[in-house]
Amino acid sequence: MAGEGAPTWEELARSHGRFLYTVAYRLTGNREDAEDLVQEVLLRVRRGLETYQPGSMEGWLSRIATNAFLDDVRRRRRRPEDLLPEDPDWVLPPAMGADEALAAEVLSDDVQAALQRLPEDFRAAVVLCDVVGLPYQEISQTLGVPVGTVRSRIHRGRALLREALTRA
Amino acid sequence: MNGHPGDLLSALLDGELTPGEEGGVRAHLEECAECGRELRLIGEARSSVRALPPVDPPFGFFERMLHPRARWARAGVAALAAGAAASVAVMALAAPREAPVSPHVGQFVDAHTASASTSGDPISELTPAAAPVSFQR
Repeated sequence: MAGEGAPTWEELARSHGRFLYTVAYRLTGNREDAEDLVQEVLLRVRRGLETYQPGSMEGWLSRIATNAFLDDVRRRRRRPEDLLPEDPDWVLPPAMGADEALAAEVLSDDVQAALQRLPEDFRAAVVLCDVVGLPYQEISQTLGVPVGTVRSRIHRGRALLREALTRA
Repeated sequence: MNGHPGDLLSALLDGELTPGEEGGVRAHLEECAECGRELRLIGEARSSVRALPPVDPPFGFFERMLHPRARWARAGVAALAAGAAASVAVMALAAPREAPVSPHVGQFVDAHTASASTSGDPISELTPAAAPVSFQR
């Protein structure tokens, strides 16, 4: 389907709906928000199909989904009652040196819960890297930050995840 | 390499280092047990996320988004029933509760089943969703 011209709205849902829903769920952590995010993505797609550049459809959808997700996070942050920590100090904790072994099998619910505990900017970088599989350069373009920042967010995000999974 | 590689450890796992950087990080890892341990822990977190399964949307989710007519029809029936007398209520009861299933549904199922079992991209390689069985084809 990639290649000639822009895909239709229906082609997108048919061929990439499950992928898009998965990305939305990994970003938001619950079905209700995932459904809202998917709807927002398809609205943006509908408005912006003419700007589609033939290439990786899933990369393109992931970029739109991530931007819509982070837009929503920023909107919520403007409301004081929803204020989220900008720079939590639980980054790469020294306790990481402890000798706890990660259980051989970590339930995906635990991993999803650990993802939810990441600051959204880190979560977006980790999801784009490890769920979507984008290279750092594309993650950098998606998030509008330098590649060095992408490296840092992915690494710190993984360190936080590992710490959360150890406690799970 | 001066100091510990830090962020470069994740980039090493992701194949995102230049050959020069990679050589430096690997040389450091041969001498620094602490960074070797951090690399292992980071690798475990990375694998945990990569092993997460795809998530299926609720049944009919995209159908309802793409073809919301069935919902509109039900809403219209409900409005009539609310605003009118018993005869209208009887009509509402007699009206079909579901709009006829669009013939596109079968195509969606086929396409989804086909795409879910197509190799070539990492998401599609995962277990295909079971094909719904309740459609009248």
